[in-house]
Amino acid sequence: MASEMTDHAPPAMRRAAVVSGIGLGVQLAASLHWTPLTFILSAAVGLPLVLAGALMFLLAVLRIMKTKGAF
Amino acid sequence: MLPGYVVVALVVGVVLVGLIYFNVPQMALRTGGRITLLIGLVALPLLISTVNLGFGFHQSSRTEFCLSCHEMRPYGMSLFANNRTAVSAVHYQNRLIDRDTTCYSCHADYAMFGDVTAKMNGLRHVWVHYFGKIPEKIALYHPYASANCLHCHDDSRKFVETAAHAPVLDALYDGKTSCLGCHNVAHDLKAVEAHKLWQAK
Repeated sequence: MASEMTDHAPPAMRRAAVVSGIGLGVQLAASLHWTPLTFILSAAVGLPLVLAGALMFLLAVLRIMKTKGAF
Repeated sequence: MLPGYVVVALVVGVVLVGLIYFNVPQMALRTGGRITLLIGLVALPLLISTVNLGFGFHQSSRTEFCLSCHEMRPYGMSLFANNRTAVSAVHYQNRLIDRDTTCYSCHADYAMFGDVTAKMNGLRHVWVHYFGKIPEKIALYHPYASANCLHCHDDSRKFVETAAHAPVLDALYDGKTSCLGCHNVAHDLKAVEAHKLWQAK
């Protein structure tokens, strides 16, 4: 079971971390240089990337649970 | 720049996600690690982003945000117009509205979706500012709604007891006549051009 987690989960979860990290990074950059345009970038690019990262992580967890026969 | 703690929260979020990236294999093996993954990749980033967005929306209602686009500069200057009949100048100079949210106080409708409409219009303005053609004459999308004036003035004693208002009160409340019919200088841009400005000593 443990090897299943280490073999399949990390790549997908790492991808989720990268996407989420970029989303937070965009928001951080926008917060440091606050203009109407960067605010929109923060809301229209940063936030969706964080949402996508969270979704990717949850999908990875669901896939693992499925392979383990959780449902 | 946003408040310091929002920036710090974003920095913490980026660092945390970075640490998770390098430790996913080890974390995925333990229950505690999996909970940390859930918090670090889902709960915390979403919470930080929501707070950041909330502050962003709050900041976008501020006068300095509206006036950060150069085409709005004359309208910002008109708040200092030395004209006791110019509506925006009177409200700003007499502190009848919050100076930090002057534009938003009058230019956001007070209906159910007033804030949403104002933000969507703001989005359009930013798009035009950066990528579109700025119109030579800036105008409202619709005639100014007196309901926005009445949101504050409605039953205020000074408003109700002003003799000139008495004959038109019912028509104003019914939306059949406009405040701007009489108070017809909203922004005195001529005073701005002529540098006839007022500033408290």
